[in-house]
Amino acid sequence: MIVRTGLTGPFPRSEALVGATRDLDRGRATAEFVEELYARTEGEVAAIERRLGLDVVTGGYLRWPDLFRPFAETWEGFTVGPLSRWFETNTFYRQPILHAPPGRVPGAIAAHLPPAARAEPARGGVILPGPYTFAGLLENRSGETDEALVHRLGRLLAEEVRELVGLGFGTVQFTEPLLVDRPPSGALAEAVVAAYRSVRTSAGTATVLVWTYGGDAIPVFPLLDRLPVSAVGVDLAETDWESIPPSDERRGIGLGVIDPRTTLVEDPVEVARIVRALHDRRRPTAIYLGPGGPLDLLPWEPATRKLHLLPAARQALLGEGGGRS
Amino acid sequence: MTTTLFPAQEIGSLMKPRWQIVGQHGEPLDETAREEFRAENARTHFADDLPAAAEALLAGRSREVGAEGVRDLGSLFAIRLFETAGLARVYDGEARRIEMYEYPIRQMRGFQFQGHVRSFDNKYYLKAAVTDEVRLEHPYHVEEFDFVRRHARAEPKLPVTGPYTLADWSYNEYYLARQPGWKGRAARRAGQRDFVIDIARRAIRPTLAALIDRGCRVIQIDEPAAGTHPDEADLVVEGFNAATEGLDAEFSMHICYSDYRALLPQLLEAKRCRQWAWEFANRDRDGRDGYEVLRALREYGDTRSIGLGVADVHRDEVETPERVADRIRRAVGYLGDPTRIWVNPDCGLRTRRLEIARRKLEAVVAGAAIARAEIEPPRR
Repeated sequence: MIVRTGLTGPFPRSEALVGATRDLDRGRATAEFVEELYARTEGEVAAIERRLGLDVVTGGYLRWPDLFRPFAETWEGFTVGPLSRWFETNTFYRQPILHAPPGRVPGAIAAHLPPAARAEPARGGVILPGPYTFAGLLENRSGETDEALVHRLGRLLAEEVRELVGLGFGTVQFTEPLLVDRPPSGALAEAVVAAYRSVRTSAGTATVLVWTYGGDAIPVFPLLDRLPVSAVGVDLAETDWESIPPSDERRGIGLGVIDPRTTLVEDPVEVARIVRALHDRRRPTAIYLGPGGPLDLLPWEPATRKLHLLPAARQALLGEGGGRS
Repeated sequence: MTTTLFPAQEIGSLMKPRWQIVGQHGEPLDETAREEFRAENARTHFADDLPAAAEALLAGRSREVGAEGVRDLGSLFAIRLFETAGLARVYDGEARRIEMYEYPIRQMRGFQFQGHVRSFDNKYYLKAAVTDEVRLEHPYHVEEFDFVRRHARAEPKLPVTGPYTLADWSYNEYYLARQPGWKGRAARRAGQRDFVIDIARRAIRPTLAALIDRGCRVIQIDEPAAGTHPDEADLVVEGFNAATEGLDAEFSMHICYSDYRALLPQLLEAKRCRQWAWEFANRDRDGRDGYEVLRALREYGDTRSIGLGVADVHRDEVETPERVADRIRRAVGYLGDPTRIWVNPDCGLRTRRLEIARRKLEAVVAGAAIARAEIEPPRR
């Protein structure tokens, strides 16, 4: 059994960074001070990721105001819109407004990646919006149909992936909660598959993961199993693991085993029991364990505490020091 | 139903003035803080009710005034700001509260604070976990209500954070851990229901009862989390009904930044709720009609009054009175009955500078006056 572990979304800001960014907004801290603290805290997140033996180092994406903002602020065709609720959470994002067919700006997203991830790209994890979630949550005034927009964003994100893999990044993770919140069907579902085909082609040998969360993945599993990626991740706090279907194809599966909606720490032995059962049922090429949603729904300390579940579950599955390859 | 069309009300917190923050820490006011105090006092005479405290504070004797005395002045400051802006119902801008979640939670046992969570951009809130059975230390908001009742010239309207929001904004350890097996969706829902009902019955209802005993007649139950999980709208209602069971007051429910249609019709089962105070202005731009959702209430035949959000609290741009009036006109068109409409900001104004907050409130009142001059109340 091959078990990989890593963050699947942003990590919370430290209490010091919370205070500093608040002070910045109130004119009580300088941008230079906050910038220095960002860099130091990203380094701390990366150090935690390494210390826990996670396979992917992300640096926590602490500077990203939301999943779309770097795109809405740098890509052509967008403006930043009003606050909107981020799925069923008490967090909000500014909805991108697309006024014309979008255009990618080379280098713009790479410049927004945490330096800690850029410093060690082979192990560095890139976290991007999935084309379906991106297309579905922006306000589309471009005149393009939903399907055409998913196709186009898929091609643009594929170009992004080509650039990032060219910089040495070994893992690209797409955030796709909308796939389980509002499952696509018909031509839209085909557009999603095509978008990931574009991404897969651009990614070469890099690992490409799609993470869903916040909803029950069971109804959409037939589509998830068609996505041409290394693995699709599901949120086990929302998805009944006993209903996950077997798979005929040799592919990986992602399991969101940390529930970021509660500080209650999951039992690694119970997690190992579930993972073994799913391994026996699906015979995946690899199992990717991570949080079942953005860990920044928790404050820094409990998020760090809960992240220890990943090495503990791996150890419960594979024994001391096992399973790393 | 209102006798004067489109009366204005506040909806929650105001940013605390700098002199209050400095003063309640026992530090002498610097010149900027003193000037801020004097300028506002010249405008509203808020310190007339506590001249000795005001004089001591301005003389640099914050410790003599004491934190509570400074908060009294902060409360008067907000009351008079609201009143001079022309509001018919006022409170104290939550001058004594840290914010709408932390304050009530600190009045209860069974919680442990965990740290800050980002709401958006650089905005955060402190979040606690429930680690034991909820218990109320003592009813809260009572002293602050007494103070407002003694000093307000307009009708006091008290905001109280609702049980569903307090539960949703907390991490559920205790009630979730009691559920057997893997903590999936069904276990989470069952644990959350126990949590909501315990907060409603053990903490909020006794607090509301104490407030009503002290003469509180208008109470806004804040449930900004209600829209977070639309499939839990029944829990919002269960919590509201449990918290208000057997109590007699004019209750309203404030919900913001939500898909209201997704909460209907379940929300309409809130038995003792007489007004929906919702946010609309934030979504009323870029060519979109933020008030169109009011159709849904008409479709369901709901006849409760509306606290109509006509000022966006997340932007500094101050609405013109004409724009406010236009929003009221559209709401009247969707509801069909102007007597059901109160006007207010979308939500609390605590994220806006005080000068912006004041101008927004004045625009709300001025816009209501324009609409009032145009729209006839229906003949009954």
